[in-house]
Amino acid sequence: MEEAQVVGLLVRRAVGGDAAAWEEIVQRHHRRIYNVCYRFAGDSDNAQDLTQEVFIKMYRTLSSYDSSKGAFMTWVTTITRNLLVDHFRKSKGDRITDSLDSVPSEHEDAQPLSEQIADRGIAPDAAVQSRETREMVHFALQKLSPELREAVILRDLQDMDYREIATALRVPEGTVKSRINRGRAELARLLQRTYKQVI
Amino acid sequence: MLDETKPGMECAEFEALLTDAIDNNNANADAGQLSPARRQSFDAHRRDCAVCGPLFADVQAGQQWLRSLEAVEPPPHLLHNILVATSGVLSTRLPATRRDGRTTPFAERLRERWDSFFTPVAAFVRQPRFAMSFGMIFFSFSLALNVAGVKPKDVAKLDLRPSALRHAYNDAQIKVVQYYDNIRFVYEIESKLRELKRANTPAEPGPAPQKENPKNNTSGQPEQRQDRNYSQEYNQPVLAALRGGVGNASPAVTATTNRRFV
Ligand SMILES: [Zn+2]
Repeated sequence: MEEAQVVGLLVRRAVGGDAAAWEEIVQRHHRRIYNVCYRFAGDSDNAQDLTQEVFIKMYRTLSSYDSSKGAFMTWVTTITRNLLVDHFRKSKGDRITDSLDSVPSEHEDAQPLSEQIADRGIAPDAAVQSRETREMVHFALQKLSPELREAVILRDLQDMDYREIATALRVPEGTVKSRINRGRAELARLLQRTYKQVI
Repeated sequence: MLDETKPGMECAEFEALLTDAIDNNNANADAGQLSPARRQSFDAHRRDCAVCGPLFADVQAGQQWLRSLEAVEPPPHLLHNILVATSGVLSTRLPATRRDGRTTPFAERLRERWDSFFTPVAAFVRQPRFAMSFGMIFFSFSLALNVAGVKPKDVAKLDLRPSALRHAYNDAQIKVVQYYDNIRFVYEIESKLRELKRANTPAEPGPAPQKENPKNNTSGQPEQRQDRNYSQEYNQPVLAALRGGVGNASPAVTATTNRRFV
């Protein structure tokens, strides 16, 4: 059986009240959703809450999934993405001074990244794969505007294709590509400038 | 832009082809719409254009940084919590479905025992625990000021401009970070208690037969959110207090306690 058929069958069984089928769906998708949420929200506690909310939403709306309209994974990503938007709006309200819309590196008060690197004494030539470097990249990712952040997460971390991303974000493919370009470039500039400051 | 006089490719076209070209470089599966001829004029433009050359380098570097991020493993209890919050049915095969074998049966038994020991007291512990985390944060904040040489009687004379305050604050930050590394276990215990609380919250009413908005409009009404109140109480006042106090300085407290990396 093809993957799409397996998923379609699982969904039908879960809608019919088969707990084991639902568990299988959770089992198959929770890791991926958790990763998207973790990279977007930045920390594990928020990512856990968000992942749980995604599945609650999925559970309630599972019967509305229409396999003829697209892949299950795209549907799941759409739900995830919408909850991330809610989360972002909410957390923005909570933290008025911490505007994620502005590019913090342009801002007078924005130095935490370079301070972090300075504190940890990371040499720019250190192995790109080092844990500290990954932490810096993760930290810098949080500085991107949410539109750019979600685009690069779905493309570069989740390997989704442009059409799937466009469907999940409900924007044209051209917009997806331009956001991916801008997101990658901004991240690189953020990290490069930081490294230069440290040297 | 700079390239309008050149016969080959223009900046807008270059930008439109950028993702494909980089996919091409990486030999991605869904890449390859770039014909050799277009690739050639793309590369020529990259070499010649003062704007697009650096842009290409940045985009490529950014992609490499991003791809250095590895997938993270969700906490082992997450699956359990999701099932409790949705179907409410915990299958017997749950321990067996941890196919990665990360959780040994022994560790699992230990965890269950830990859970059953703490479940009855979780409700009781919640309140004092709460007070403790606030105490910790305010204590460390005054510790930070102390380390920075700020005495209570000097507070009236303090320069309260955000930039001046930040300067003093940053000096102390490193020590605070070290301090927080030591008490990180406090937060780990806290998150354990959160899990317990989650596991004890009632399940969803059941599979919803009602058809929702056919457009999958998922960002609709705010719903009953598990653990929401708790999270809000936990985060909001602390952030408000710190941010109110030190202007825009990034508080070490939030940076070190809320972030859990790879
Ligand atoms: Zn150009």
